[in-house]
Amino acid sequence: MLLEMERISKSYGDVNANRGINYNLKAGEVHAIVGENGAGKTTLMRILYGMEQPSSGSIKLNGKEVFFNDPKEAIRHGIGMVHQHFMLFPNFTVAENIVIGKEPGVIKFDRKAAVAQVEALSKNYGIKVDPLAKVGDCPLGVQQRVEILKVLYQGAEIIILDEPTGVLTPLEVKELLEAIKALTLKGKSFILISHKLNEVMSAADRITVLRDGEVTGVVEASDTDVEQLSNLMVGRALAPSIKQPSMPKHPVLELNNVSLSGGGSKKLLDSISLQVRAGEIVGIAGISGNGQSELIQVIAGLLSPDHGKISLLGANMTGRNARDLRDAGLAHIPEDRYIWGANKSATVAETGVMGHQRRLQRFGILKRKVIRGLVSDWIKQYSIKAGSLDNQTQNLSGGNLQKLIVARELAQNTPFLIAAEPTRGVDIGAMETIHDQLLRKRDGGGAILLISSELSEVLKLSDRIIVMYEGAIAGELQVGEATEEKLSLLMAGGKRNE
Amino acid sequence: MNKFNKLLHPLIGPLAAIILGLLAGSIAIVVAGGSITETYSEMWKGAFGSFYFFTSTLSRATPVILIGMGAVVAFRSGFFNLGAEGQMVLGGLSAALVGLYMPGPAWLVCVAALLAGIAAGGLWSAMAGYFDVRFRVNLLITTLLLNYIATLFAGYMVAYPFKDRTGSAAMAQSAMLDNAIWLPKLFKGMAVHAGLIIAVIVVIVLFIYLSKSVSGYEARMLGGNPLFAVYGGVRRTSLMIATMFASGGLAGLAGATEILGSQYRYIDNAFSSADYAWTGIMAALLANANPIGTAIAAFFLAALQTGGMGVELNTDVPLEIGSVIQSVLILFITVKFTRIYWKRRKGRKQDGSAV
Repeated sequence: MLLEMERISKSYGDVNANRGINYNLKAGEVHAIVGENGAGKTTLMRILYGMEQPSSGSIKLNGKEVFFNDPKEAIRHGIGMVHQHFMLFPNFTVAENIVIGKEPGVIKFDRKAAVAQVEALSKNYGIKVDPLAKVGDCPLGVQQRVEILKVLYQGAEIIILDEPTGVLTPLEVKELLEAIKALTLKGKSFILISHKLNEVMSAADRITVLRDGEVTGVVEASDTDVEQLSNLMVGRALAPSIKQPSMPKHPVLELNNVSLSGGGSKKLLDSISLQVRAGEIVGIAGISGNGQSELIQVIAGLLSPDHGKISLLGANMTGRNARDLRDAGLAHIPEDRYIWGANKSATVAETGVMGHQRRLQRFGILKRKVIRGLVSDWIKQYSIKAGSLDNQTQNLSGGNLQKLIVARELAQNTPFLIAAEPTRGVDIGAMETIHDQLLRKRDGGGAILLISSELSEVLKLSDRIIVMYEGAIAGELQVGEATEEKLSLLMAGGKRNE
Repeated sequence: MNKFNKLLHPLIGPLAAIILGLLAGSIAIVVAGGSITETYSEMWKGAFGSFYFFTSTLSRATPVILIGMGAVVAFRSGFFNLGAEGQMVLGGLSAALVGLYMPGPAWLVCVAALLAGIAAGGLWSAMAGYFDVRFRVNLLITTLLLNYIATLFAGYMVAYPFKDRTGSAAMAQSAMLDNAIWLPKLFKGMAVHAGLIIAVIVVIVLFIYLSKSVSGYEARMLGGNPLFAVYGGVRRTSLMIATMFASGGLAGLAGATEILGSQYRYIDNAFSSADYAWTGIMAALLANANPIGTAIAAFFLAALQTGGMGVELNTDVPLEIGSVIQSVLILFITVKFTRIYWKRRKGRKQDGSAV
C-alpha cells in the first residue's frame, strides 16, 4: 500500500467531522472520495495534506508512519493538492506559477531554466501548456493543468484533486479525465474528491463513500452504479424528480434582436430573440464564455443592450435597472454567488434578505423579527449549515451559500426567474430539492430561464433548449429531440439550424 | 459572556492603537527632554483636569464628532469622502452669511443658518458624487481637491466682499453675528454649546439608520459588495448622491454649529488650522466607521489636542506631542486596514472549499 490512513478522527468542539475513517491508496490508482457537503471529505484531505492534525488515528506512507505539521512536510513526502479554487497568480506566467517556491537559479531567478523545465515536464507527462502565457489569460481548464503541473513539479506522487470539475466545461472535463488516466500509467496516484457521481464512475478505480464523517462504503467502480453510490451518500433512495409535460401559456419574457457589442470587433450578444412563457423552463446551453453571462446581465438589468428590445410581462424593460426589473417581476439566481449573490462581510440574515428588504419594512425600518424568521425557515427547509443568522456570510461553504441564495430568490415568488447555475457546488440531496422547487415553480405557472454548464441539468429540467455559440443562438431543440450529442455539436459551433 | 466579547472585540484594535500611541509619545517626550509622567499628567489635566477643561474638550469634540458622522455615512456605503474640510468651510461661511443678512426672529435665523450650513456642505459634496456618476471622475480625487477651491473661495469672500470693516483691518473675517442668534452655551462661562446636543442626536439617529433602516441596510450592502447591492435592486446612483449629500451636509453642519456656537463669525483659516475635518475622518477610521465608536474616538482625539495645549502651557514639552501620538495612531490605522485586506484575500481562497 502506498498510503494508509487508519481510524482517523477529527472533532471541532462538539462536531465530529471525521469518525474512525479508514482509507488507503495503491500506487497508480484513482481512489475517489464522495459524499455530501459536510460529510468530512475536505477535513480528511486537510489532515492528509498537513493543514489539520487528526484528533486520533495514524497515517502511513509505504508502511512507515508519518506526521505532517504543515503542507510543506506533506509536499516533501510527495503529496500534492489541487484546490477547488485555484491558487495561482494571474499576473504571472504559467512557468512562473509552476516553479514558485522551488525556483531555478541561485541568487537571480533563472527564467529561461524555468521555462525549459516546465516544457520538459509538460512533454514528459503529456499535459500541454504554454509556459509563457499569462495565467490570467488562460481558460480555467488550462489553469487547472497549471495546478497539476505545479504539484508534479514539486515531486508529488499522490495528487489530491478537490472538486476538480466544478468550473470546467464538458470538453475540459474530458481532457482532465484523460490526463488523469495518462498520469496513472506513469505511476502517479490520485485522490479524487467529488460529488459528481458520473465523473467519479468514469475516472475512479475505487470509491469510498462518506456520510456524516463516517465511511458508509468502499466499492470498486466496476461493481457499482450511480444509484448505489447516491444511496450510500444520502442514506436513502432518491426519488427521481417527476416532470409533467409543460403547458406554456402567455409569454413572460421576450427578447427582440438584442445585441451587445464588446470592446472589440466581435459582438458579445448578436441579435438574440427569444421567449420564455409562463409555465415553462427554457434552458440555455453553451460552453461558458459564449455570451451566457452577458445575456443574463442584460435580462437582469445589470447591463444595457446596444440594440433590441426586452420586455417582461408585456412592459418594455429595455435599459431599465435591476430594481425596476425586480419590481416588474424578476427574481435572479446569479451565476457567481460571490460576485453577485452575497456580501461576504454581511451576516447570513443580511445576505438572505437582499431583494426582500423593501417588502419587509414599516416606516423605513426593517422588520427584524419577520426577517429572521423567514431566513430561519429557509435554513430549515434547505438544510443550510449556517451556524447562526449572525454568522458572517463568508464563513458559509459554497454549497450552503448557494442554497441560501436559491431560497432567497425562489421566495420572491415572481412570475419570472433567471436560474443561472442554480446547483453549482451543492450536494446531490440539495440538488434534488432545488430541482424539485424549480419544477414546482414551473408547474405553478412560473417562467424560468435556466442557464447551466451542466448538460445533464439542462436536459433534465428544460422544456426547450437554446444553444448559444459566440454570442448568437446556434439552435433550439425541444426537450424530446435533444440529446447530449446534438447539444455538444451545436455548442461547438457545429451547425446552425436557422 | 459571548455578548460581552462581541461588545469588547471592536474596541481591542483602537485601544491597542491608543496604548501604542501613548508609548510612542513617551519616546518623543524623553527625546524632547521632558518627564513622561509629568507630561502625561499635564495632558490629562489639560483635557479633563477641571470642569472648565472638560467642557472645552467637549466643545472641541463637537465639530469633530459631526464630521466623523459624515465620514461614517460615506465610508459605510463604500465611498471615500475626503472633502470634509471644504464642506465644513462652506457650511460655516453660509451659516455666517445667513446669520448676518437674513431678517426675521432670532430663533428662525439660527435654524435657517444651520440648515444653510447643511445645504452648502451637502451640495458641495453631492457635486463630487455627481461628477463621479456622470463623468467618472474619481470621488477620492474630487472631494480632496474641492477642499482647496472651497477654502480659498471662503477666504476670498471674507477678505473682500464680506470683510468685517469695523475692527482691525488686517483680519480676513466676516462681521460678528448678533448674539441673539448664537447657539446657547450649555453651562455659563464654559465653552461647550448646544451644538454638542445636536451632535449626540446625530450619532443616535445615524446608529439607528445604519443598523435598523432599509436605506441604511442598502447603504451598508453597497459598501460591502456594490455588485451584490445593485443586483438586489439597490439604486446605486441615487443612494450615492444622497449619501454624499448627507456626508457633506454633516460636515457643513459641523461648520455651522462651530460658527453659531463658538466663533460667532467666519474667520479665514480658523477651521483648517484647528484640523477639525481630518481629525473627524481619522476618528471614523479609528473606530471602523461604527457611529458610536467614532463619537468616542472623536472625543478622545479632541482630548489629545486640548491636553496637548495643557502640556505646552505647563511644561517644556511642545504642543506637538499630541500630534506625535496622533501620527502613530494613523500608522496603526493603516496597519489595521492592511490586516483587513489580508483577511479578505485569505477569505477568498477559502470560499467554498469546505465540503
